[in-house]
Formats: sequence, C-alpha cells, structure tokens
Amino acid sequence: MSVTGSRRLLMVVASIAFSLAAGSVQAQTRAETLRYVTGASVNTLDPNIPGSTREAFAVSLSTYDRLVSFGRKQLNGKWVFDLGKITGELAESYEVSPDGLKMTFRLRKDAKFQDGTPVTAEDVKWSLDRVVTAPVLGKAQLLTGSMTSADQFKVIDPLTIEVTLPKPDKLALPNLATVYPIIFNSKVAKAHATADDPWALAWLKENTAGSGAYKIETFKPGEQVIMARNAEWNRGTADKSAFFKRVIVQSVPEPATRANLVERGDADLVIDLQASDVQSLEAKAKLKVISTPQYNAVTFVSMNNQIPPFDNVNVRRAIAFALPYDDMFKAALFGRGSPLFGATWADGKPTSGAYPIPQPVKLDLDKAKEYLKAAGMPDGFSTTFSFNVGQASTAEPMAALVKESLAKIGIKVDIQKLPDAQMSTQINEKKLPFFTEGIVAWLPSTDYFYRNFYTGNQRWNYSSINNPELVEIAQKARFEPDASKYEEDGIKLNAIHFSEIPQIPLWQPSQDAVMASSVEGYTYQFHRQVDYRDLNRK
Amino acid sequence: MQALGATVVRAGRRFLSSLPALFGVLVFTFLLMRVLPGDPAVFFASGPNAGKEEIEVIRKQMGLNKPVPEQLMLYLYDVGSGNLGRSMMTGQLVTKDLRERLPASLELTFTALLIALVTAVPLGVLAALRPGSIIDHGVRFFCALGVCVPTFVSGLLLIYVFYYLLGLAPDPTGRVDIFASLPPRRTGFLLIDFLLAGDFDGWWAAFRQLILPALSMALFVVAPLARITRASMLVSLGSDFVRTARSVGLPWWRVVVTYALRNAILPVITIAGIVFSTMLGANVLVEKVFSWPGVASYALDALLSSDYAPVQGFVLLMATVFVIVNLLVDILYGIADPRVTIG
Repeated sequence: MSVTGSRRLLMVVASIAFSLAAGSVQAQTRAETLRYVTGASVNTLDPNIPGSTREAFAVSLSTYDRLVSFGRKQLNGKWVFDLGKITGELAESYEVSPDGLKMTFRLRKDAKFQDGTPVTAEDVKWSLDRVVTAPVLGKAQLLTGSMTSADQFKVIDPLTIEVTLPKPDKLALPNLATVYPIIFNSKVAKAHATADDPWALAWLKENTAGSGAYKIETFKPGEQVIMARNAEWNRGTADKSAFFKRVIVQSVPEPATRANLVERGDADLVIDLQASDVQSLEAKAKLKVISTPQYNAVTFVSMNNQIPPFDNVNVRRAIAFALPYDDMFKAALFGRGSPLFGATWADGKPTSGAYPIPQPVKLDLDKAKEYLKAAGMPDGFSTTFSFNVGQASTAEPMAALVKESLAKIGIKVDIQKLPDAQMSTQINEKKLPFFTEGIVAWLPSTDYFYRNFYTGNQRWNYSSINNPELVEIAQKARFEPDASKYEEDGIKLNAIHFSEIPQIPLWQPSQDAVMASSVEGYTYQFHRQVDYRDLNRK
Repeated sequence: MQALGATVVRAGRRFLSSLPALFGVLVFTFLLMRVLPGDPAVFFASGPNAGKEEIEVIRKQMGLNKPVPEQLMLYLYDVGSGNLGRSMMTGQLVTKDLRERLPASLELTFTALLIALVTAVPLGVLAALRPGSIIDHGVRFFCALGVCVPTFVSGLLLIYVFYYLLGLAPDPTGRVDIFASLPPRRTGFLLIDFLLAGDFDGWWAAFRQLILPALSMALFVVAPLARITRASMLVSLGSDFVRTARSVGLPWWRVVVTYALRNAILPVITIAGIVFSTMLGANVLVEKVFSWPGVASYALDALLSSDYAPVQGFVLLMATVFVIVNLLVDILYGIADPRVTIG
C-alpha cells in the first residue's frame, strides 16, 4: 500500500468515526428538542403589535411571563385551560378585595429577567401602562376587563402592585392572563424607546426583554423561530424550568408535508392538519392524536339581518331547517368536532344558559317550505353564499351541500369564494347577505359572546342583529355577581337567539393535535396554540 | 477588448431604455393593488377584539389614510431612496425580506434550469438526429408527461417516494436541515456559501435539500426546451453547410455539435431566458410544497392578505429580473453567433 493510499484510508476511517460521533450527539439533542411545524408563521416577538399572528402569541407566552395564568382541567379526558382557576405566574399570590374593586399582586422574590435583573413592580406597571396607553392590540382586550387607564395600576412597594377597578368586573383578573399583558423588562425597553416611539414598539417587535421560559435564538419572520430554554425559569407548574432545551417553530405551508413530517418522526407536534390526514393518521395508530373540541370557538352560517330577504325572521327559520347538518358535518370536518344542531329542547326552552348550546334544529324540508310560505316567498329567491379561501378545505364541501339542499326549497344559491382580505372587508362593510364564518372568544362567558358578537354595528356582529332586549340583558349580566341569576340571564339570551335565529351555529371544530407518541402534557389553550412550556417527552 | 467595451456600453444603454418600462410597472402595480377589493387594514386587524380603532391604527401605519395620489408620490419617493416599504405579514422591511428570499429562489431556479438544459438539449438533439424513430417518440412522450403533470403533483409524488417511502431524501422543509448550522452569509446562495466556508457536509446537506424541488421544476420545463432544440436542430441539420460538412468527411460529432448545434442554439437561449424568468415568479407551488423560503410564495401570501408593499416590491423585482435576463440573453446571442449584435 502506498503512502497516499494509507493516508486516504486513515482519512476515511477518521471521517466515519467523526460522523458517527456527530450522529450520537445529534440524536441526544434531538430528544431534548421539540420541533413544531405549522402552516402559519410568526411575524412579531411582541403579540401587542397590530397584525400579529396567532403563532406569535404562542411564542411570546414562552418568552414572557404574565402576572397570572390559567390553570388546567380535564374535559372528557383531555386537558384544557381552566378559566375558573387562575394561578400566579410572576405573582406569588394575589388577592381580590371583598367589594371586587381592588386586586393586589405580590411578585415572586426570585423572579428574574433573562438579563439577570429582578422583576419589580415598576416593570409590571410599565408593561400594564403600555397595554392600555400605546396603540396596541391589548388595549381593546383589557377594555373588556374594565382596565382603561394607567392610573388604575399603582406600585405599592417594589414587589407589590395594585390594580383598581371602577366596577367589580368578573373578567378583570382573567384578562391579565391573556396574551397581551405580558411583563417587559422596563429598563431595557425604555433604553430602546425613542421620542416617536415611547413604548419601544419597533424594538420589541424584533427583540425580547422578558423573564419567560425560553430565549429567542433565531427569529426569521415567516420561516422559523428557534428558542433555547431559560434554565433560570421556575414559573412552571412544578416550580422548575421547561422540559425541552430547544423549541423549533417552523413554517411548513403544505398540510400534506406537515402530515408526512410528523408521521416520519421528523416533527414532534402539529395542530393544523387537514381533517382527512388526521383521520388516516389516527387509523394508523402510530402517533398520538388528541382532539379537543374548541369550546371557545363556533362556526356559523350567518345571515345579514338587515338585508332582504334575510331581514324576515321566517326566511332565517326556513334556512335553519333546510341545512343538511349531518352531511355538512361529515363532509367538512369528517365529524371531528362537537355539533351544535339536532338538540331537543323540552317545551321549547333552552337547556342551559351557557353559550353556545346545541340548537333544536335539523333538516326538515317540509317545515322549511312552510316558513318560506309564511315569509311570503313560497317560490324561494336567489342569493349568494360566501366563504374565504383560507377556509376552503372545510367551507367548500359545505357550500356545495348548502346550495344543493336550498335548491330543494326553491332558493337559488351562487357560491362565492373570496380571498381572505376581501372577505373580511366585505363583512366589515356589512355587504354579504349569506356566508359562513367562525368566531372565537378567549374568555368564553355567555355575556361576553352576546356583547361582542350580537351587539352594535361592528364587524364581529356578523348577523348585524339589532335587538335592544338582547343588548340590555347582556350588559346587565356582565356585572351580575349572583351565579343563578347569571344563568337565568343566559337562558333568556339563548331563548332570544333561537326565536330570532340571527345566525345558525353549526359546530365547534376540534383542534386536532397530532404528536409523536413520546410527547406528553399537551393542553388545549385559550389562544388555540400550543403552550410549549406544558410539554415534555417521556 | 474594444468589442467587449462596446458590448458593455450597448448593454448599459439598453438597460437605461428599459427604465421607463420599470417605472410604468411600478405605477401600474401600485394602482392595481388599490383597485383590488379587500382592505388590508381590516384583514390585519383580526385579533379577537380588534374594532374600528385597531383598523384605523393599521391604516395609519400603512399610510392608507392619505389620498391615493399622495400615497403614490410618497411611495415613489421611498422607492427612489431604496425603501420598498414594510410588510405587514412578516413585519420586516420588504427590501430585507426580498434580499433574504431572492437567493433561495434564484438558487432553486438556476439548478432547475441547469438540470432542464442538461436533459433537454441532448434529448432534443437525439430526437432531431432520428426524426420519426422510436427515440423521437420516446422523447415526445417524456416531454408530454412532464408538461401534463403539474409541478405540485410531481413535487408531492417525489416527496412521497423519496422521502416518505424510501427515506432517501431529507425532510422537504426549506433549504437546509433545521438542525444544521448555516454558513456565514456571503452570497445568500447556500451552495456557494458552504463552499466558501469549506463545510462540505453542509454543502452536501444543502444539495440534498435542493435536488427534489429542482427536479420537479425541471420536469415541467424540459418539454419546451427539448421541443425547441429538436425543431431548430432539424432545420440546421437539413441546411447546406451541414451537408457540405458531411460531404468533406468531418467526424459526425463535429458536424452535429460544432456546426449544427451552434447554429441551432439561438432559439434555445431565447426560450431558456423566458423559461427562467417565468420559473422564478411562477414556481410558487414548488416553493409551497417544499416550504422553500423563496420570493414567489412570499408574494402569493402577501397577495392573499392584500399586503400592498411586498406585492409591489415583488412585481418590481420580477420586472427588473426580466430586464436583466433579456439583456443577458442578448449578450449570449453575441457569443453564440458573432453576427448578432445588440443595439
């Protein structure tokens, strides 16, 4: 063997040994890494920036802490967030005064920002002031909890902060657990504030200054975010740092590719697969599939109550009895969700004051024809049915079924598929007569739903209903301290909803989280994203 | 030397004369975006509590509260000073987004075009040498197949076979394995950056990521290139100078390559230029399927959400690329056939 030959051999052996060693190191870190793939993308590191995406919410809840967070509970054997149980995150303890007008938070003494400085009440005040003062998304959110002015937040001592309310508001405390009132390191943020931008919106969009469980390693908007664990963080449920050393949030636009990735074990978790893929993955039983009905979300068929012929309640009733609910549920969602149709209400009264509840409607063409006759339109009419491109995979089969079924009672439907921005614009301008859309509420209580989605001439009032009685009851219920009276108000609201049928609730789609069988701790969160801090690998 | 200088001067003049066209594209896209139905402010104010106030904030942020002529003047001023605006979708400056994403698209398109040319030209030549034979029909069949199958179908098929079933290809998510470290950014072309950094494992990893998307794009464009090569070769092979070359007993490869092919290559270059520009803008499906962080999928996402600045920036970029590619094609003409000059 020549000299060059033996050297070459040596190099080959060395490179094989090297690659084997590298392989085992990689395998080790792989187990401690969570790779989460999604069709959406993260566009800001501060969820308060107008236009921020839902994926951005999930990232910021890992990089920042809030004063308080929601506990979790089991619902039909699956973990979901618990609106009724609020635990401290940066707050060690909190108390609400007996009259409900004062909330006092005592901060954890050991809480530190990622730069090592302690978290003080000053930081909390700056962060809360920012949410209610700066032009950010959190402003409208905290308004729903009666927090509107910086005067309401008072520093008592370096570790105590007090929030005063004008009225005892049930939603004040839960509001502090939503994604907007996260606590910033005010010294760092102020150092990057400018005269034009006193709240450092521009800097915090690209950088973080928090105390959360993860630090940002790489942030490529629209592509990926890689986060590394903050070993100092101890605000988790078991007083220890998060499990995964690294979290990779990667945008993979094609749903079939996401399904392949998780099936091959290259990705650990995905929550936005197509229903058909979820079904086949579930059948193969290699992966863990956790389907949670999104109990704070509802999908509707909406009608604009101000545009003829939908201003006639009998037309709306006719539609409600002419929809092929079961077929739609199967075709659109493959039955993955909880239906809001086909209920029986004893003596026609709502079964509960919760929202939403299953409605006593089903496909009954004879009844639908009678209602049409009562509306003075026995021969039907023509209209359009719109949905947005982003929801085409569920809305398209649904629209075809709606068209087919309504044709049987003489209503001619033209299907309109609109780009997302166009659809939201037309809804905002109240131009669509008949369409499908969904809603979601972070703090799902009956009065909240009715106040936000059935009141006023605003975008989220899809049906444009204007019913003074409904508005009055909903406003009163907001500050109703007595649980049984609140339930009564809820039943009244649900009864008005059914007699007016401003829009038709269809179902609550499931959130299908598909994960490697080793991943545990998944909890359905109010923001409908994954809280990476919940997860571990066994 | 003098000839080269003259070419450069002519190319420069040619570029200057295309500036009015670019300006037209700029204004036209600007107006078109504003005419399209769909209000970006409403779309981006989609938080659970976003009301009128949030919509106004976004409208102001995007400068949409001003009258359209004023917006246009401001936009032209910004473009003149090298600022294409800010994307609402990614929250970044459009110039930054495009600078990050254009090399990804270019790398993919170049590779695909290279694969396509290396396959299509020999196929076309073979088919032309034996017109009507089984080879000719075979080539025709292959081309028809390539054109019939849309790129996203061939892309998904390739993924299914090579990634999902065989496990030969790496996961189809972007330009490099997510766990690998990136080379220092010099050109933005990963294959070049890895080479410059001397990281051959990295180069191999990037190459493996690139090969499937490049193949599925190449399959689609082999057909026009092979067909045009065949047609042009047939003309060239039937011409007098080839008959003369054959009659004086030159070796067959010399006849085919040096005399016939060189004369037949002009239309192929033209088509290749057009194919390249089209691929760069229209490979959005491939980019989507392979999660390729390129400009086309970026522009499509922006268009769906009526995000004005990125769409306008993208169209301007594509127009510029088109101008440059046409210029290059003209220069290549001169090299392929010295009788051609650009002017």
